[in-house]
Amino acid sequence: MFGRFAALVALVMVGDAALSGTPQTPAAQTAANQQAASVPRSPRNANYAITARLDPGSRTITGDEILTWRNTTNTAASTLRFHLYYNAWRNSDSTWLRGRALTGRPANEPRRSDWGWIDVTTIRIIGTGTAAGDLTKRMRFIAPDDGNEADRTVMEVPLDRAVGPGETLNVQIAWSSRVPRPFARTGAISNYYFLGQWFPKIGVLENSGWNCHQFHATTEFFADFGTYDVRLTVPRGWIVGATGTERDRRDEADGTTTHHYYEEDVHDFAWTASPDFVERRARFEHSTLPPVEMRLLLQKDHVGQADRHFEAARAALKYYGEWFGPYPYGHLTIVDPAWQSNTDGMEYPTLITAGTSWLLPNHTEDPEDVTVHEAGHQFWYGIVATNEFEDAWMDEGINTYATARVMEERFTPTYMARRYFGGFVPWLFRDFPRIRELDGDRLTSYRTGAKGDVQSTASWRYWPASAGSITYDKTALWMHTLERMLGWETLQRILSTYFTRFAFKHPKPKDFFDVASEVSGRDLTWFFDEVYRSSDVFDYGVDMLQSERQTFEGFGDKPAAGEAPRTELRPTQYRTTVVVRRHGEGIFPVDVRAVFENKEEQRWHWDGKDRWKMFVVDKSVRAAYAQVDPEHVLLLDVRFSNNSMTLAPKAGRAARKWSLAWLIWLQDYLLTSGFFV
Amino acid sequence: MSPRAAFREGLHRVNGAPALLAGTFAVTLVVSLPLAYALQGMIAAHLGSSLAADTAASGTNLEWWREFLSQANGLGTTFVPTMTGFGAVLDNLSGFLDLSRPAATIIGVTVAWMVLWSFLTGGIIDRLARAKRTRSQGFFAACGLHVWRLLRLGVAALIAYGILFRYVHGWIFDDAYGALTRDVTLESTAFAIRVAGYAIFGMLLILCNVIFDYARIRIIVEDRRSAIGALLAGGRFVGRHPAQVLGLYALNALAFLLLVILYAGLVPGAPRSGLSMWLTLGLGELYIFGRHYLKLLFYASQTVFFQGALAHAAYTAAPVPVWPDSPAAEMIGNADPAGQP
Repeated sequence: MFGRFAALVALVMVGDAALSGTPQTPAAQTAANQQAASVPRSPRNANYAITARLDPGSRTITGDEILTWRNTTNTAASTLRFHLYYNAWRNSDSTWLRGRALTGRPANEPRRSDWGWIDVTTIRIIGTGTAAGDLTKRMRFIAPDDGNEADRTVMEVPLDRAVGPGETLNVQIAWSSRVPRPFARTGAISNYYFLGQWFPKIGVLENSGWNCHQFHATTEFFADFGTYDVRLTVPRGWIVGATGTERDRRDEADGTTTHHYYEEDVHDFAWTASPDFVERRARFEHSTLPPVEMRLLLQKDHVGQADRHFEAARAALKYYGEWFGPYPYGHLTIVDPAWQSNTDGMEYPTLITAGTSWLLPNHTEDPEDVTVHEAGHQFWYGIVATNEFEDAWMDEGINTYATARVMEERFTPTYMARRYFGGFVPWLFRDFPRIRELDGDRLTSYRTGAKGDVQSTASWRYWPASAGSITYDKTALWMHTLERMLGWETLQRILSTYFTRFAFKHPKPKDFFDVASEVSGRDLTWFFDEVYRSSDVFDYGVDMLQSERQTFEGFGDKPAAGEAPRTELRPTQYRTTVVVRRHGEGIFPVDVRAVFENKEEQRWHWDGKDRWKMFVVDKSVRAAYAQVDPEHVLLLDVRFSNNSMTLAPKAGRAARKWSLAWLIWLQDYLLTSGFFV
Repeated sequence: MSPRAAFREGLHRVNGAPALLAGTFAVTLVVSLPLAYALQGMIAAHLGSSLAADTAASGTNLEWWREFLSQANGLGTTFVPTMTGFGAVLDNLSGFLDLSRPAATIIGVTVAWMVLWSFLTGGIIDRLARAKRTRSQGFFAACGLHVWRLLRLGVAALIAYGILFRYVHGWIFDDAYGALTRDVTLESTAFAIRVAGYAIFGMLLILCNVIFDYARIRIIVEDRRSAIGALLAGGRFVGRHPAQVLGLYALNALAFLLLVILYAGLVPGAPRSGLSMWLTLGLGELYIFGRHYLKLLFYASQTVFFQGALAHAAYTAAPVPVWPDSPAAEMIGNADPAGQP
């Protein structure tokens, strides 16, 4: 309660500033006596002072927040809109659960105790001005995306007086919530709590109005930057991790402890609490990047994997820092989530969840890949704060691309692994090292949903079952294609320019495209038309390869009367004909190459527009093979095996070898089934 | 007779029946080959004249493989990278215990193989029980004599195993395991619960298995016609000698475990090219041969133990193969002397 009291004292001092032109920040004022606010990196127009009490017995949170919100648009706001994400799991009629059912991965049938919700008990404007007052009775739920009346994930509150551009409003909200068993990303299982999207959070006001989407199963979040001054009361002895750093800690008389966390220039706040965490600390140091204190909250099973987590986080901070820009916060908390908690692989400002397994050989994909990815989100999501509801590819896709690049730089080789016997016992297949294009850029999963949606469609409208393919996989593949097309140095400059220019802002797709064209010095509109504004798939192939000895038969220029047709060898002995074809709808300029038996090669460039193109060359040697896109620049090509054709095919040998290997599997299968006879 | 003695004698009998071992290995190979040939055609067609075949032939080409899988259906979906090397064994054992469903084509060939094996079981156990050559006519006479009894027993086995896998497995691994691990947050704890589940299910499976094994042996060794009677007798036999029966089972299981560990240690993984490819494939077939050996060893040692428990040790009932005469001889034999010209 101290925090709430302090915030209220601060607000009394603010007086009539409930609606004023001067930004007032109760949260910052609360902390003013402890630390002078640093120079803002962000607009800081949504600032929260929150006190919350977790009661594990009833699995509830009671909270109180004071939001200081400033209208940074050129439009007056006559209403306020808030996200109440926990209501996504209030009942099966929520938009989230309806969407989840379409993903092909429906959630387990929830038990009575699994549901979660959030109820705002009071909401009022604080201050002594005319705008002050209790708005609780005006609260209403709206469904701007799908009109689902049963969905309660967006709350709207009409105001007596509109908040004009540049004006600031102080809002106090009290709420109580039931923490769900994790359906996805947030919730509690046993005494492990991971709490994201847990408090009433204001939407983002844009010049065009509120950008406050309902919670959808396939999309994430969007919020404005601000300061978070949060006091969390949990049972004594529990370990807490949260966005920001812990300022102080106080034991309460009722056997609880209040942890005070504070962070500036972030757009969300998440936390975790459990008595079972094992805590480890390490530090990231670099000659040109700011140091970062790393805190790892591990499950007991994974104590031996602390170094793997730290190394992965270090790699992300190092490479992302060198490539894009420095990580400015100075601290990062990594949470190793509880088994089956469904909270792995999540990003929040300065707090991430990783994900690993108990039995884990070396050289596996995780926990490194997931840790790099989530730590990488500090850059693409945390700092460059794009709208995950509408343009999820801008953080997830770019970050997937960057993750794969880091993994290739730092953690090669990793191998394919499969887990047997209930998913517990791992086996590493060392013959199959992970390949960046296949596994990092996720070509394999892209193929399954390549035509699912046009990427420029708002992400929350994507078909749920293929949203991942379009958001993560397609972007990573076209980013990597761009790298091969422009060169890494150019792409790195594009990304670092984009990062620097839009740090602590909310860029749109056009911002990225403009930077790409500007920095590369090439108009890349055609490229983004193909990959972003279209759902066309790419598939180029060699349709025909002939290389035959040439002879001349027939008559010359002026056949004499009675002259017989001549047959003679041409000076060049072999005519090589290569026909390449565009099987897909996507268009991309490609190189075509013919390689001859003496290793000599002939190259052509094709704009890739026609359905097919023939190339002919006369040489003194026979062709050995031909390729279209020989350097594999176009990583979105869904069938690369048809990109080449050889005159000495080895398909028979390969097929014999692999079918014989498969034969052993089948015989073993029969003998295993032979248990019954 | 002690389990060790039965096991030793079982080894002796299997070693004394090389044709039987070679024959059963050949049967499995022959049943499997058509599907492998079909898959070979699918792979060759997909690779076509692509350069991808070069790397697939000389090593592994995961990029092509994933592309193949993305377009595969039916049989092709079983051609996955994890079936290479020791992965094949893990894949099948884990799939067996966790009840994963294979492609319909694989189910079809498995059913065919099991019916064929049921037919051969009469001859196999008869041969192992006699511990002497029966030649092909004796072998197939025993097969023919016992096949319908064994198939009737197979129906009973189908029901019993069906109940085990359909209901008991579901109860243990879905209901009980799900309930016990619902609030578990440590994977090691969940794994311990899973292992306990495997132990319980495994014991039930083994119990069921030995009863059917001894019922099968009883049908053949004692020439019993009633499958139900043999099943009850098998149950009584196991009930009377539980320690020895399970001890012998454990010895056989241990032999299987040793073979699997040996294979895991030796198999290099995915085949490459040239000599190393043939060595890898040869080692795989040697392992399959070893599994046939152990399958026969199971039969042989259990048969020895069963025979050892009878009043007349090493007793084996008929059949003595009596072949019908040729049609011509039969006609002469049946001819009425009075009617002769």
